[in-house]
Amino acid sequence: MAETAAKGSTVWAVEEYAVHEEPYYLPIGDEVELFQTAYEQRIPVLFKGPTGCGKTRFVEYMAYKLGRTVTRVSRGDGEAADHRMPLVTVACHEDLTASDLVGRYLLDTDGTRWVDGPLTRAVKVGAICYLDEVVEARKDTTVLIHPLTDYRRLLPIEKLGQVVEAADGFLLVISYNPGYQSALKDLKHSTRQRFIAIEFNYPPRDQEAAIIAHEAGCSSQAATDLSKLGEKVRNLKEHGLGEGVSTRLLIYAGRLMAKGIPPRRACQVAVTWALTDDLEVQRSIEEVVTSIFE
Amino acid sequence: MTIVGELLARHHERLSGFPAPLEQHFEAGLRALAPVLTPSQLQTWAETGVDLTGLSLRSWEAALEYFRAAPLIPDGASWEAIETLGHEAMTMAAESAPLAVSFLRSAPQTMETIGSSHVRQWADMGRKLYKGNWKSSALAGQFFEISPGLYAVLRPGQASRLIVFVDELSRHSYELAAACLASAPEVLGRLEDDDRSPFLGFAIELAQSSWADTRLYFERGAHLLHKVHAPLRERFLLLTAQAARGQSRSAFQYLEESAVALGELEPDEHFSVLELAEQLAPYSPYAAMDFITAVPQVLTRIRIDELRGWQEAGLRILQVSHDGGEAYFRLQSSRSEDIIETLSSRVELSRVGEILRLYCKALTGRNVAVQSSSALADKGIGWVNENHASTEGTTIFLPEVMETFHDKTDNFAAYKVFSTHQSAHLEFGSFEFDFERPGAHFGNRRASLPAAGNATTHMERFFDLFPDRRLASDLFTIAEDCRIDGAIKREYGGIRKPLIRMQRRELGNRPQIQALPLRQAFVENLVRASLEGLDAVLWPRSRAEEMSSALGILNLLAEPGALVEDAAEATLRLYQVAITIPNILEDMPSSSWGPVEPGQPGEMMPGEGGESGGEGMQMEMGDVSAGGDEQDYKSPDEVGFRGDFKPELVQLLMKMREDAQGGEAGDQSPTPLTPEQLQELLEKSAEIDLDQLMEGDLDATTGMFMENLMREAGTPSSDQDGNDGDPTADNSTGTEEGDEPLIPIVTIYYYDEWDFRAQDYKPRWCAVKESKLESGEEDFYENAIREHAGLVAQTRKQFELMKPELFRKIKRLPEGEDFDLDAAIEWMVERRAGASPQEKIYWRRNKIDRDVAVAFLIDMSASTDEEINKKDKKMDDDDYNDDPRKYLSWWVSRRKQELSAPPKRIIDLEKESAVLLMTALEAIGDQYGIYGFSGYGRDNVEFFVIKDFDEHLDDKVKKRLDKITPIRSTRMGPAIRHATYKLMKTDAKVRILFLLSDGRPQDHGYGRDRTEKEYAIHDTKQALNEAKREGITPFALTVDRAGHDYLKTMCADMGYEVVADIEALPSRLPTLYRRLTE
Repeated sequence: MAETAAKGSTVWAVEEYAVHEEPYYLPIGDEVELFQTAYEQRIPVLFKGPTGCGKTRFVEYMAYKLGRTVTRVSRGDGEAADHRMPLVTVACHEDLTASDLVGRYLLDTDGTRWVDGPLTRAVKVGAICYLDEVVEARKDTTVLIHPLTDYRRLLPIEKLGQVVEAADGFLLVISYNPGYQSALKDLKHSTRQRFIAIEFNYPPRDQEAAIIAHEAGCSSQAATDLSKLGEKVRNLKEHGLGEGVSTRLLIYAGRLMAKGIPPRRACQVAVTWALTDDLEVQRSIEEVVTSIFE
Repeated sequence: MTIVGELLARHHERLSGFPAPLEQHFEAGLRALAPVLTPSQLQTWAETGVDLTGLSLRSWEAALEYFRAAPLIPDGASWEAIETLGHEAMTMAAESAPLAVSFLRSAPQTMETIGSSHVRQWADMGRKLYKGNWKSSALAGQFFEISPGLYAVLRPGQASRLIVFVDELSRHSYELAAACLASAPEVLGRLEDDDRSPFLGFAIELAQSSWADTRLYFERGAHLLHKVHAPLRERFLLLTAQAARGQSRSAFQYLEESAVALGELEPDEHFSVLELAEQLAPYSPYAAMDFITAVPQVLTRIRIDELRGWQEAGLRILQVSHDGGEAYFRLQSSRSEDIIETLSSRVELSRVGEILRLYCKALTGRNVAVQSSSALADKGIGWVNENHASTEGTTIFLPEVMETFHDKTDNFAAYKVFSTHQSAHLEFGSFEFDFERPGAHFGNRRASLPAAGNATTHMERFFDLFPDRRLASDLFTIAEDCRIDGAIKREYGGIRKPLIRMQRRELGNRPQIQALPLRQAFVENLVRASLEGLDAVLWPRSRAEEMSSALGILNLLAEPGALVEDAAEATLRLYQVAITIPNILEDMPSSSWGPVEPGQPGEMMPGEGGESGGEGMQMEMGDVSAGGDEQDYKSPDEVGFRGDFKPELVQLLMKMREDAQGGEAGDQSPTPLTPEQLQELLEKSAEIDLDQLMEGDLDATTGMFMENLMREAGTPSSDQDGNDGDPTADNSTGTEEGDEPLIPIVTIYYYDEWDFRAQDYKPRWCAVKESKLESGEEDFYENAIREHAGLVAQTRKQFELMKPELFRKIKRLPEGEDFDLDAAIEWMVERRAGASPQEKIYWRRNKIDRDVAVAFLIDMSASTDEEINKKDKKMDDDDYNDDPRKYLSWWVSRRKQELSAPPKRIIDLEKESAVLLMTALEAIGDQYGIYGFSGYGRDNVEFFVIKDFDEHLDDKVKKRLDKITPIRSTRMGPAIRHATYKLMKTDAKVRILFLLSDGRPQDHGYGRDRTEKEYAIHDTKQALNEAKREGITPFALTVDRAGHDYLKTMCADMGYEVVADIEALPSRLPTLYRRLTE
């Protein structure tokens, strides 16, 4: 159950969090149908794509959408609004171990107490579990992923000597960014081949403009120019820019502009300086900015 | 008896003892003077002469000259003059008879020029030079001899300065003094009268300070002085004299360099330059001179009125530090460069090229290069103008410098406009013209026209439609540029302003329209309209309609969605209008010309044009032949920022590139271009001006041109024998095999050098030439391993122990993977005992990364050639056991040993240590590079790659190790900087720079002179500091026993070690390395 903390933020238990309002998502291709179909058959999904292109937003959008569908199918009555698809998101980092996902014993006044990790909780309640940037995590996490992603749908909890059978709604979704990882941080084939892969990329200019306009609330002219800037800067990808500029950054720039920051300045802080420390590349991006914005 | 007879008789007795001519001349003299002098005067004269004979053994010769001079004395000479002459002769002869002889011999002639009143002064000058020895006597004599000639040129005051100079110089060298004196009349004769005194004044300074330079000064000084604006010469010399007064520097060189520098300037600039220099002189006259010398070079980058700013900044530095200021004005300091750069309004492509390249790449999304336009002109493939922007499809060419505006930002903006326009040609597909594709606004009237047969490219096919190809090409250029500029303005709001400004500027430079023949005026109007200069369009009111519809067509091109095909369609329509306009000079009053409003292009629209096309079109296309009053059509003036647009040539190049690359794939180009087709194309294209391209006959030119084109496109040359000795052709083919090329590839890098006196960097001071070390024998590596087998095994083992386990268990953490059983039990115990236990009872594995890159820098200077155990050898008789019978066999065996194993040198140990360390590093898996350095002078710092970071320890590397040999000097600074650069390219977390040397840094010009140590040491220290700032750990290891004192300065707060026992180096090095990285 949600409790409201002092400062007005809402605190949820991991497995109880669900997306409450429909997130904005502009489908670029057939990814919505793909995901929906995959979910219906509980096929694990892998998202590939650069940072800030909308992977997380997409999974939230799908969780929301699927929650509604599921409700309609299962109940069909007035309770529809309450039943939502829980979404457990874990951002993986290089020290994330299997026990961080599964759970561990914590000390208590009377000894130790077992606490479920986020993955276990998701498995138990039947949530979508989204492991963001999964390659960053320790290799021992694969031990957990494998049995969960084939026909078994099992989560072994070694320390408890238990095996948890995944609840019906559970689906594992992972994301990874092939762009910047080194050869060392590649996903193993045995893992990869358990997922269908949906590839994401930065949206085409017009769609991106629409996204920026919606998210940033800036004028459509500004949004068009920003998406143009995005396209131009992405042309510089191999030059000191590990990645092109993300849609997220463009939206930030748009937000600043919508609130009256001069466009050139907004792009400088949100795009140029955010992207690189290389002075020459900065200068080049700056020139592109000044060419596009007055 | 006359007075003459009487005097002859009186003195006969005294004179008869001398050779006969004496008495004869005496008589002649008496007779000559008798009419002029009174008897008593004559008597005195005679007595003086006779007295002269008695002064010394040879003074009679002086007397002879005295008598001989009498008849020659100029008529107007007074008795006083004659008397003085005698008097001076007497005094002089008393000292030196020969001196008096030369004095008297040239006296009559000299008196003619100086007048009799200056005789004494003149004699004094000669006497001044006489110091009592024969050399000085000769010099003084020389002076008298040349006096007539000298006084013909000099005024007496000037002559006395000359004597001061000669006198001064004679203290150092009589020979030089004599030579200068001899050349004086000629040298001074070449100078203007006003310049002579200053010239001699400087000569005196020179004689006092660096006398040896005076020879050069007399040889070339006059010529140099002429380079200086006449009224300023004296000031210039005074200034230079201040520099001359300093010791130990070559004053003449200052004079020469600065005078040459002034000679390069306009005379009216001399005043301000000299004035600025004079302000510097009180602080350092050298700086003042260097300033003048530097001015021409500085003025290539800034304007004369900005010079003061540069001088003032330097003056401030000079006031604080002489060395710093002098380096500043010698242009040997980064600050000086920076200030020029700030002051200068011009922008150089070399400085902004990379930014513009990325900018163009961003805009086009293609891997475009940016080069200077001259590079394109040099290719000889059709582009001739070195200052116009252009593109050939893969590279954007821009002018080398931009100095159109008086402001740096404006100039850069101009560069941006230039490159945006060229990028836009690529981005908006100017070169992707497809004959078959209809335009978005105009449809496709081309299709209905009869095609001219087999064209190679779409562009060629299009231009083939037009009888007047030049006109068509010009119209297409205008139409396409108009479309491109429209697209830029629409797509790039930020560039709109500078673009419009450039357009305005261009409009201001257009030719007078009414002076053009009518058809050209029509085209000119289109150019103006395309520059958004509708208000500048002027056209005879009587023909307004055609202009109006043409402008309408042009307007449509700036609309969104216009394609290159639209520009082509517009060209068709414009052409049909243009061809009906006679190219004649209209003789109309200017009032009958007026502005034109753009009309609807409607009447030309495809709708009705399509049907009437067909045969009708053929007539409309007109004829090229100009009849009657018509003048030949000339292309309009170019629009600067748009540069050269050659779509036909670009399409041809693109096609040729495709042919060259995808020859086999074939789908793109089923029929490769034949040379005949190419030639035909080149001859008809309006884009190539073959006459301008090269001289010589047309066939040879086209041949050469085709060669160039093919090379550019990467097509194999048609006749291979034709171009032997062509370096580009050779390069492209030599290195296909995996082998290393025979001649090592040298890459040059430039680095600044630290001048501790000036406390500033000397910009781009050292050229580091990086090359792979040549290969030697592989044996060396194997031998070294064998020789040190024990050590190798030991080191390898030690290093393997260091190899980190991938995970290390860390205990006692507040949270972790699992309980640490010991800690948990403790916790329970303590809790039960009632204490409040520590909650750190978990453990977890942490990943330990060993991520080290190390660069070894090996000193390959000549000093490493030294043998190390030379001294020890003599003492090393221990194994000989005093038995004389065995001595011989001992000696033989010992000798054999020496021969088979030559004595080791420092470098050998360096090499062996390197081998040992390599085996160790291979064991631990660190990234490493091994480099050697040597060189001579700042332009030639050799940097040898033995093993680069990305190379593996293979045979090639092993062979290179063998070739580590002592070469030349040790300029450490640049080598360290380059190694730093190499290290920074690795992605390791820990970077180490290991410097292995045998002594202090030393090189030609690495310090004020060969013996100065501080400069080199400071630069090396600075280089090490720079490395540290980059996060690199530097470590210096030296085998120089005197190492401690300078290493303390050089590596103040870094690791260093002096290996006292040189032979311990191979074992010491790996140990040190281990300690450094553990």
